[in-house]
Amino acid sequence: MIETVPILVTVNGTRHVLDVEPRMHAADLLRGMLGLTGTHVGCEQGVCGMCTILLDGTAVKGCLLLAPQLDGCEVETVEGLATGEELAPLQRAFKEAHALQCGFCTPGFLMAATALERSGRRLTREEIREELSGVLCRCTGYEGIVRAVERRLTGG
Amino acid sequence: MADTLPHVAGAPVGVGTPVTRKEDDRLLRGDGRFTDDVRPADALHMAVGRCPFPHARIAHLDTSAAERLDGVRHILVGADVVAATSVISPLRPTPGTPDLPYYALAPEVCVYEGHAFVSVAATSRHIAEDAIDLVEVEWEPLPHVTDTLAALAPEATVLHPAQLDSNLLSTNPMGPGADAELAAADVIVEDVFRVNRVTGLPMEPRAVVAEWRPGARRLTVHCATQVPHLVRMQLAETLHLDEGEVRVIASDVGGGYGLKLGAYPEDVLACLHSMRLVRPVKWAEDRQEHFRATTHARESVHRFRIAATQTGRILAITDTYAADLGGQYSSFGPAQLSSYTYPGPYRVTAGHVERQVVVTNKTPIGAYRGYGQPEVNFARERLMDRLAREVGIDPLEVRLMNLLTPEELPFTNLSGAIYDSGDYPRCLRMAADAVDYSGHRVRGTVRPDGRRTGIGFSSFIERTGYPSAKFLADRRSRYGTHESLTLRANRTGGIDLFTGVSTMGQGSETTIAQVCAQVHGVDFARITVHAGDTGASPLNTGGFSSRTMIAAAGAVRIAASELRAKTLRIAAYRLAVDPEDLTIDGQVVRLRDDPACAISLAEVHEAAIFGRGIPDEEDPGLEATAHYEPPAAAFAFGSAAAVVTVDPETGDFDVDRFVFVHDSGTVVNPLIVEGQVRGALAQGFGAALGEELRYDRDTGQLVSGSMLDYFAPTAADLPEWELLHTEVASPVTPFGVRGVGETGTIPPAAAIANAICDALSDMNLDITSLPITPESVWRAIAAASAGEGMS
Ligand code: FES
Ligand code: FES
Repeated sequence: MIETVPILVTVNGTRHVLDVEPRMHAADLLRGMLGLTGTHVGCEQGVCGMCTILLDGTAVKGCLLLAPQLDGCEVETVEGLATGEELAPLQRAFKEAHALQCGFCTPGFLMAATALERSGRRLTREEIREELSGVLCRCTGYEGIVRAVERRLTGG
Repeated sequence: MADTLPHVAGAPVGVGTPVTRKEDDRLLRGDGRFTDDVRPADALHMAVGRCPFPHARIAHLDTSAAERLDGVRHILVGADVVAATSVISPLRPTPGTPDLPYYALAPEVCVYEGHAFVSVAATSRHIAEDAIDLVEVEWEPLPHVTDTLAALAPEATVLHPAQLDSNLLSTNPMGPGADAELAAADVIVEDVFRVNRVTGLPMEPRAVVAEWRPGARRLTVHCATQVPHLVRMQLAETLHLDEGEVRVIASDVGGGYGLKLGAYPEDVLACLHSMRLVRPVKWAEDRQEHFRATTHARESVHRFRIAATQTGRILAITDTYAADLGGQYSSFGPAQLSSYTYPGPYRVTAGHVERQVVVTNKTPIGAYRGYGQPEVNFARERLMDRLAREVGIDPLEVRLMNLLTPEELPFTNLSGAIYDSGDYPRCLRMAADAVDYSGHRVRGTVRPDGRRTGIGFSSFIERTGYPSAKFLADRRSRYGTHESLTLRANRTGGIDLFTGVSTMGQGSETTIAQVCAQVHGVDFARITVHAGDTGASPLNTGGFSSRTMIAAAGAVRIAASELRAKTLRIAAYRLAVDPEDLTIDGQVVRLRDDPACAISLAEVHEAAIFGRGIPDEEDPGLEATAHYEPPAAAFAFGSAAAVVTVDPETGDFDVDRFVFVHDSGTVVNPLIVEGQVRGALAQGFGAALGEELRYDRDTGQLVSGSMLDYFAPTAADLPEWELLHTEVASPVTPFGVRGVGETGTIPPAAAIANAICDALSDMNLDITSLPITPESVWRAIAAASAGEGMS
């Protein structure tokens, strides 16, 4: 029998009491136990950024966090961005700037950019490129993503 | 067969509209359905054991400890697979290549690090992985060879002694020859160019979920693939099933770029486990195994040569190249387009090419965006600059002098490829103007800070689509060139569009619907696309070779015209008017001259579907399926200019500007075309500037096989690109479209290398291998100055 650890975690505003395997990582918990498959897994090494989520407001890589570390925390995932039918402004900006192709990296970028947006910082293009360099994309060449984030950060 | 577009009044979205994509909303909400998101409640999980050596015999294999682990349900070894399946048959074998059959698991000898030899199905992924660790193997390491040319040396160990007596799998010489031209040439420039082994690295690793229902005799396979219908064919063959018993579904695919073309061993294994256990079985590749088990690309060594007159006119081009196969075949094998596009966009009437396919102890090579075209472009465009230097003419002028002009097209190149149309010199001039090339020549390369500035060009063509189904048949390729789709009217007034082309980022749900909206007249928003399910689409070819739009545009045009005609006939009957006077306008069918006289599409559709209130001579139903084979391939083309600054001491360099001028014919959606170009450029830059799957020569181990060790460019690593385009409609395709997905991968390496060599032109250095890094430039500088010292 595999031992489990009880945790209390709030995900996109909903509280969950869960028994988790200690070696499970946060992205697996979200995907496997809560059915929130919008958080993706691309390397499980902390490099690709596909698993980026917000932990108490800070962008972190879900594959580097063990599920028990979520105990008592607030987690936000891509599924929490839109309000009902209404896409969040950042999501709309991504759509209008053609910032996604296969869309596999999109949740990671949206969460990283949400943290940037909330920080209220005004960033240059180069700074945006730097800030987003923790998430990889193989489809877009990044220009659409940078444009979308730039528009949001300059109030566009 | 240039087409005039059927003008449909009032349809706001059609060919050329920069409409945002249908795919976006679900993907932005985290509601995409990638294969790993398919989670049957009672699924078992598969893990695969892989050979840690480049070449080794399995001396002894014992799975009993693994079998005893709690939660383990089934273990497969090579002998089980040999007993239960046939070999996996390639889709695009290299012409002239003998069969080199392979099974989903190595029965006896592993020929590359990562070669699968055992698989386990268990109640969780962790348990399956733990069981793999419990498999006891006694390996007998065998002599290995990882370097492509070393594998051809007489002393090299023959890796497939049962089929071959050397590691040369095949040679394939083509072309009219060039003896007279070579003898007559004033100048011959030649060198050996090494192209790096890279990988497309889709952000979504591969995955498969297989479920066998023996009573129904149905095998349902969710698979991250670009070609669901071709995977279905391969799985049915390999597993000895009727094709009708296999359904392959690829809902959302997280990037393919050629890597997800065809069945992989793990697809077969998941099916075998499921068929044995009668439970869904799932496998999700981890990134470590991705670097070893998913195909690599590009690695080749080109001995390239250009013969010319003293005035810079090309007389002949030849290329003899060794293309690395890896340890065994994959569904697509080594790139084949080098042999078709090596002469590039130039007026070349003599030459030859020879492809030598070489077996080595490395991961199998497969298709990757560009498929042989970036490789020859690098060699040829470097030599164009060398030629310019030899004859003392500016590289821009040498190119302009040799580029085919619009009047010379269509032109049949040395390998029989037909360049359809376009203005090649104009693209090059646009690139030169954009970087102020004439100003650069006046200013010179030396900057006040001691660094040097250089400009390099690279002109290219790209074959998009295939010449014909016969072309493929002659090469034993196991697919055709057509696309097909079904349009089905629904009772809410919309149209369901069914296509076997899976969605992997290329935007085809949107672009195919755009053509449908334009031809039919229905609102773009009312077209619901169902993609990538063999159970819900007509048999098609799939998304690769920059061919989808060319072929699918033709199919959708035929189907939408047919559907429209019947819709108009039924509406005319109900409105008691002539169909000729009607048009479809978004959600209604109305009189052209009197919008008030109208009937909703919903009403017409329902009448047709119920067979009520339709003309006696009409069959009920409102559905059309069309197949379309394009009459020829279309050639995309263009030129790039790179502006670099280089430190002549250290070799450190920056790409300050990169101008990419291209023509992809009629643009269906400018947003999507720009996205395709930028995405391909990013991969072109990555491969040019740092990506490399390196194998240690002594140990044969892959040393850059993890996300940490493999350079994949981030947003901060890429310069801002400047894109320009011309739009010459292709005369050989529907609407004049050319493919666009791959062009960006082709010119970056040569343009950047040429710019660096231009910046350091006084040193006379040369760059002949990829990737280009500050270190490799430093070495080239050192080599050039050593050469200087000697002479
Ligand atoms: S999956 Fe977490 S960073 Fe790659
Ligand atoms: S959109 Fe495909 S990886 Fe970013």
